[in-house]
Order: sequence, then C-alpha cells, then structure tokens
Amino acid sequence: MDSDAPEISKTPPANAAAYFDGTSSRRRAVTLHFSDRLEIVEGEQTLAVWDYADIRRADSPSGMLRLGCLTAPALARLEVRDNAVATELVSRCANLDENTPGRRGVAVIVGWSIAAAVSIVAVVLFGLPLIADRLAPLVPEAFERRLGDVADSQIKTMFDAKVCDNAAGQKAFVKLVTSIRESAGMDTSVQSGVLSSSLPNAFALPGGRVYLFNGLLAKAENADEIAGVLAHELGHLKHRDSMRGLIRDGSTSFLIGLLFGDITGSSALIFGSRTLVTSSHSREAETNADGFAIDVMHRLGRPAKPTGELLLRVTGKESKGLSIISTHPLSEDRLTRMSREDRSASGPPLLTSEEWRALKSICDGKPDSAKKPDSAKKPDPAKI
Amino acid sequence: MNEMSWPPQVPPPPPSSVPPPMPVAFSGKRGEFFELAKRGAALELVTLGFYRFWLLTDIRRHLWSNTLVDGDAAEYTGRGKELLIGFLVALAILVPIYLGYFLIGLEAEHYQAFASIPLIAFFYLFGQFAIFRARRYRMTRTVWRGVRFWMTGSGWIYALQASLWGLLMILTLGLVLPWRAAALERYKMRHSHYGDLQGSFEGRGWEFFKRGWWLWLLTPIALYIIPIAPFVYAGYKAIEWRWWLSGVRFGGVRLESSLPKSALIGLYWKVIGWMTLLGLVFAVYLALCAVLVASMSGEGLTEFFKTPELMRSIPLLVLLGLGYLVFALALNVVIRVYLTRDLWVIVLGSVNISGIEAAANVAARGDLANALGEGFADGLDVGGF
Repeated sequence: MDSDAPEISKTPPANAAAYFDGTSSRRRAVTLHFSDRLEIVEGEQTLAVWDYADIRRADSPSGMLRLGCLTAPALARLEVRDNAVATELVSRCANLDENTPGRRGVAVIVGWSIAAAVSIVAVVLFGLPLIADRLAPLVPEAFERRLGDVADSQIKTMFDAKVCDNAAGQKAFVKLVTSIRESAGMDTSVQSGVLSSSLPNAFALPGGRVYLFNGLLAKAENADEIAGVLAHELGHLKHRDSMRGLIRDGSTSFLIGLLFGDITGSSALIFGSRTLVTSSHSREAETNADGFAIDVMHRLGRPAKPTGELLLRVTGKESKGLSIISTHPLSEDRLTRMSREDRSASGPPLLTSEEWRALKSICDGKPDSAKKPDSAKKPDPAKI
Repeated sequence: MNEMSWPPQVPPPPPSSVPPPMPVAFSGKRGEFFELAKRGAALELVTLGFYRFWLLTDIRRHLWSNTLVDGDAAEYTGRGKELLIGFLVALAILVPIYLGYFLIGLEAEHYQAFASIPLIAFFYLFGQFAIFRARRYRMTRTVWRGVRFWMTGSGWIYALQASLWGLLMILTLGLVLPWRAAALERYKMRHSHYGDLQGSFEGRGWEFFKRGWWLWLLTPIALYIIPIAPFVYAGYKAIEWRWWLSGVRFGGVRLESSLPKSALIGLYWKVIGWMTLLGLVFAVYLALCAVLVASMSGEGLTEFFKTPELMRSIPLLVLLGLGYLVFALALNVVIRVYLTRDLWVIVLGSVNISGIEAAANVAARGDLANALGEGFADGLDVGGF
C-alpha cells in the first residue's frame, strides 16, 4: 500500500501511528502490533520489528510520543498521537528514558563544576605564587628586557610623557641613582630616568628600568625622600617583581577567565575577582621592596623615615579598614615601619643642596610637561 | 522540551487525529520555555556558567521539536556533552594561539607602541570560521521526517570571503552589507543539504538594499538620538529575516516570508523595559547593601560614604558580586524569552512554504559534523543560537 498523502483517514485504524524509516523522508501511516516485540505494519507489509527493550524516547512536540530504536537506523522515528497507544507503549518499553540524563545527570554537572571551581581557586591562591616565584628567575634577561621596551613605549604614549634631561638635573639624578645602585649591589644594566608627568608616582619596569615622575619630585622636600623611593623601585628590580607579577597576573586572569568560560577574560566579574587576588600578592611584594629600601638607606647611612613621610604626603591619610583590594600597604603602616627601623643619619648627604635644586628642576625648559592635567587614563596613583 | 521536566508518562490529551495542514507552526508553550530558561539560569549560577552547554541544548531541543513543518515536527539531536567537548577542543587550540598572539604582539610593539592592534583582524577571521562551523554543527543535528540536514564547504574559505567582505564593509561604511550578506549566504546555502536535496539561496543583495537603505541613513542619527536606535535595529532585523527566509531553497522547496518591518519593534522595547526595571531593582539593591554594610561598620553613614573604604570592604564587594550575577542572569532569562523564543515564534509565523511535495520522499544522506565550531564560537564570543 502506497499512501502518498500524509493525512491519515478520518477514522484512524486502531493502533495508528506515523513511521519514518530513517533512510527516506517518506511519512508512512502504519499500525502497531503488540506481540512479544513491536511490529510496525504498513498495510500487509511489516516494515520493522523493534524490541521493547531497545526503544528510546526522542524529543517531540507536546501531544505526541516520538520513539527511536537502538537497533534501527539512528533516525528512524515512530510517532504516536493516540493517547491509548502511547500509554500502551510506555508501559511496555522499560528502558524508554534511559538516554535522558535526568536529575543525576544535572547533579554530576553541578558537582564537577563546583569541583573545577574549587581547584582553580586553590591553584590561583596557593599554586600560582609558588610557580611564579620559581619561574621568574628562569625567564631569560633578554626576554625580560624586551617586555620592558614594550611597556616603556606604551607608558610614554599613555602619559604623553618625555624623558627630562636638563643637564644639571640629569647629573644630580645620575649621581643619586649610582650611589643607591652601588649600595644595593646592582650592576650598570639598570636604566633610569625622570618622566615629565605631573602624577606623583614612580615605577619599575621589567628588564631593569626605573622611572620617576616629575610630579613626585615636586612633592619631595629632600633627597633622602627620593632616594628611598628609588631604592624601593630597585628592590622591585632585584626581586624581579614585575616578571613575577606578569606571570602571576597573566595566569590568574587566564584561569579565572577559564572558570567563567570566557578565554579572553574581559567581563567585569573577572576583573573584580582578579583584583582581589592579585592585589594581595602585590602588597607582599611592596612590603619586601620597602624592606629592601630600608636596608639600602641604612647601608648608605641615611634615614628611611623621610620616604615614608613622602608617601603619606602623596596619598593623604588612609583610614583603617579592610583594604584587601589595595595593591599597596597603607601609607601610615609603611611610615610606621620606616620610622621604627629608622636610624639617624650617619653618612654624608646624598646630594648637595645645589644638586637637589637642580634635580627638582630637571624638567624645566619643557613647558608642555608640568602643566599637563592628569591624563584621561589615570593609573593607580600610588604605584610607589 | 526539557529532558528533566518531561514526566515519563503519557503525553497530555490533545491527540485529535491530525494537525491542521498549515505549512509552518509552533506548538511550544511560553510558560514551558520560561521555566526552562529560569531553571537554566539558576543552574548556570550554581555551576559558574558550565551549565550553558546543556541550557543551550535544551533551548534548541524545545524550539526545534515544537516547530512543525507540513504537520511534522523537527528534532534537535545535539547534546550538551558534544558542546562541552567542542569547547574543550577549541580551548586546546585557542590557548597556544593566544600565547602566539601575545608573543607576536610583543614583537610588533617593540617597533611601535600599540602596533599589535591589527592582529585583532586575525581573530575576526577565526570568528568567521567559527560561525560557519557552528552552523554546520547545528544543521547536522537538525532532523525532520527521519532525515537530517547536513553541510559541506570549507570553513576557512568562508572565513576568507567573510573577511574580504568585512574589509569592503569598512571601506564603504557598511553600504555593501546587503551584498556581503547575499554572497555569504549563497556560499552557506549552496553547501547545505536536506538528504539528497541541495540547498541554494536566491536572495539578491540589491533587493535587501532596496528594502533597507533608509536604515543605513538613519543609523548615524540613531547613534545620537538613542531612543530611535531600537526602532532602527528592530526594523533592520525584520527586513533581514524576511529577505533571508524568502531566499532559502531546498531543491524544489521554496520558503517565503511576509514579516512586516514593524514586527520586531515590540520585542526590543519589551527587552529594554525589562532591562530598565531590572537595572532599577539592581540599583536599589546596591544602595541597600551599601547602607547595610555602612551601618554594620559602626561609622556614621556620611563618613563611610566619604572614605575610599566604601569600595574596599569585603562584605560589600561580595554582596555586589552576587547581586551583579543575579542581575546578569535575570537579564539573560529576559533576552532568551523575548529575543530567542518570541522572535522564533514571530518569524516562524511569517513563513510560507511552497513545493513542499519535493520533500515528501528524500533519501537520507550526510554525516554528522563535530562541535568544534561551537566551541570556537563560545571561546571567541561570536555564535548565535
């Protein structure tokens, strides 16, 4: 019997169903025979025989039961609209819903997701600092210098800053840096300079580069204050903090990004949680750099306290509280530490008062520099 | 239909002999879809987003299996696990690429600051590849009358074409968009099949342009006068849907759509309304959290708000993060209900099919494609549904 018309006649025969054999899209009006197996019969011809145990449910619109069979072609489908026939089939097919995962499937997804989250968080909190510590010394110096070059040009573009090199000021600056560098036991590969930006800031770049912003010089009252800041930045270089930070922050944002299913790591949430994690590491590095600076100043026979005073002058009083997302320790705490470990000056001043004045005006003669307002992309104002 | 909420019993009553002979119909209930989206969002929250593979699958299963063409419902045979595997494979490939991107960028920056930006073009190419392969995956998981759709063609050739057209788009300020869409669609449809019926695309760029050029002129205005932007976008989508559907052919089967230009405007405004409402609720929640934390810190309210400590207190941050997550997921539910389900229903309602007899006896052919493209699309944030 060959029924081209897809409609079933007005009074459907008992056990009527529609059958698609999975090899052609022809819709066949069939009747079902329930023997020890399910027989699918079109007219006189038996099209297929399905074992009840092999029958599985397939997705269907409401009001229809749609079945497939493990031993039939994968896409062979039997569609039953009649309620009584459907009930009969459901009662006979014991494994009907074996393919659908059900509650246990969801529980497995939820359970392993949480396990993955816990393990990623654990690696970020405990594993990455360890890895970064071990890995940073292994990074070749040439690579680190190259990174520094990139950061260098980006920072100069970002702040629209130039290197100040008015002769007298530069001479004083070199003298100051050299005495600190020698006392810190570092070689001549360290490069340093003053940048013409009004932000009160200083920072160390990977590959041995230290920059001081003119804005910090403007706020400083004597050479010791600046010396301590430079020593602090040299401490970052010595400990290769920026390399370590890069490895740690990069991997942290990558792993957290992975967790939230966004490889590029761009959403606000990722940014938030990354800040929380990385800043706690960074505070540790800052505390170490402070310790380094205190040591260097003592070796030079100069007090460390003025640097703390400069910091406090720059940041203003920071009130107590949970400052967990701050990248730096509180300025008060840093001053307290520097005062506690302070010794009175025993060595000669690092710069003569003339040299100090020259250093303070190192950016003069470049009128476009000092009066520049804070650039739009204002960085963390306390990178010291 | 959601696999978990489907009771393993007999389907509900209305088994009235035969569905009415209309070419395309949708039988899904809105409440059911809402339940599905709501439950999926909750599970996404608990699983930190991993559930998205299964939610996406459930959404497609619901939409596909309730779409009736010539009385017979389609079926989506893809599974969440396939998407997960596709994502993992894409991850394995994308991670070294990101690393290479980083290194190349480093080299480029060495010569000039920010010189690495053009490399983004490479990711555009990759995104187009992902779009093609994701479509192939979806097609091969689409089954109707026991026969699957399938696709041939090369993802890379498509990506190259799309990128060159993309370049032209930039040069002409978007004016070639209709011709770009037509050319890309021709490539996709030419390589699409239903059993042994080959697909093709008859839509012409010129027709698309004729219907939508005024939107191109309105776009710069819409960028200034934001309130008209939803009208422009909804109009554009409606024109695009209608033009696209009216061009789709499978052998002798021809689709036609009569979607009016204004058909989708209501949807977009409803979404904007819900966004505003949810945003307000979120803002009130933020204020309440701040006041609560401030009052617990013991300091005076005004003092607390003056200090930077406001942004540093952990309880506040945790409350904010949680609120933000719930806000984002609620928004997701709204977008899925309106812009996925309702849009699907409206667009389907506009479709008429002629020559459906050609699909009455089609021989099954074609193989399954893997979900790699879906994984890339997920990793690069490109993909549709």
